[in-house]
Amino acid sequence: MSFETAVRLTEVLLSLALIQQSLEHLRGQPAERALFLARAALCLLVILGVASPWPLVGLAMLSLLILQRFHGPYNGGSDRMGLLALWCLTLSQLMPSQAWREVVFGYLGLQLVLSYLIAGGVKIVNPDWRSGRALRDVFQFSAYPVSEHLRRWADRPRAMLAMSWAVMLFELAFPLTLLSQPVLVVGLVVAATFHLANACLFGLNRFFWTWLAVYPAILWLQDRLF
Amino acid sequence: MLRAVSLLLPALIPSWRFFDAIGPSPRVEYALLPAADAAPRPWREFRPRPAHLSLAAMLGRLVWNPRWNETLFLVSCAERLMDQPTAHSEDEIFRRIDADVGGAASQPWLCFRLVFLSREGDAITRDVLFQSEPRRRADVA
Repeated sequence: MSFETAVRLTEVLLSLALIQQSLEHLRGQPAERALFLARAALCLLVILGVASPWPLVGLAMLSLLILQRFHGPYNGGSDRMGLLALWCLTLSQLMPSQAWREVVFGYLGLQLVLSYLIAGGVKIVNPDWRSGRALRDVFQFSAYPVSEHLRRWADRPRAMLAMSWAVMLFELAFPLTLLSQPVLVVGLVVAATFHLANACLFGLNRFFWTWLAVYPAILWLQDRLF
Repeated sequence: MLRAVSLLLPALIPSWRFFDAIGPSPRVEYALLPAADAAPRPWREFRPRPAHLSLAAMLGRLVWNPRWNETLFLVSCAERLMDQPTAHSEDEIFRRIDADVGGAASQPWLCFRLVFLSREGDAITRDVLFQSEPRRRADVA
């Protein structure tokens, strides 16, 4: 995948993800609506490729106002990845040379790999994750399961143990998928399925769309490095 | 602006420590009161989750999930109230409960409390770690 194609795909996918989030905010508090209407309009300009890179610059500036409005990201990790992607795309466009543009966009791809590797690393050093106890806790009493029915999954310790190890091993092994493009594609399909499951079970729909938006960056980086 | 940049930095240099440890989990409960000095009874859970959600509903939430995402934002506000208390977190919780629970002219006051669930051995314990002062609902929005 060429650099230009990867950047453009990331821009479009991220804009679609941000429009989806913005529409959700339009039913919220009146003070939020103006911010998110403006964000949706700028995303539309990015998708249409109008006046590049200024709509991206506008989105980056607007992201500071939104951070200020909520005293941090509205939805934790998913918003952080969205911010990272937005700022990497914006700064990449503003860099004075192709080499620097690639460095900044490559940083986004690298962070995608780290998002899996570090998440797997911090789990596997925790005995509660290795025994399946932590995942039981997630289902039993955390705020995330979307229905009471799902809490019953905590009563199946063997399934929790198997799921815990499947998640940890996948996250830790993800960097190995960089060795070849076909393996990376398989890895990304598995990763997208993992995010889809999290969206269904825990209502984390923003993770699904935001992580998907960054996949072109890692596909390009793999091609560039290997 | 400096504050916004400091809020942006953890996104530009992320830690990615998702679910590294499962800590106490907050639930928001609220009570409507006839007067500021009335006893807050009964406590009601704010937006209790449904007993069951179909696969179709789960998939639908991939594209439209504003209530759940707002509920997760209130979880963040509840955790912030414990870690670094600010009026902003308390105001956000008040405002979003008030917008959701509907009107009752005979109960113009609102207060909320944060109940944290955690595991001790094999038992799940509930601890009330924060209770707000009542606010007149007309002043909340």
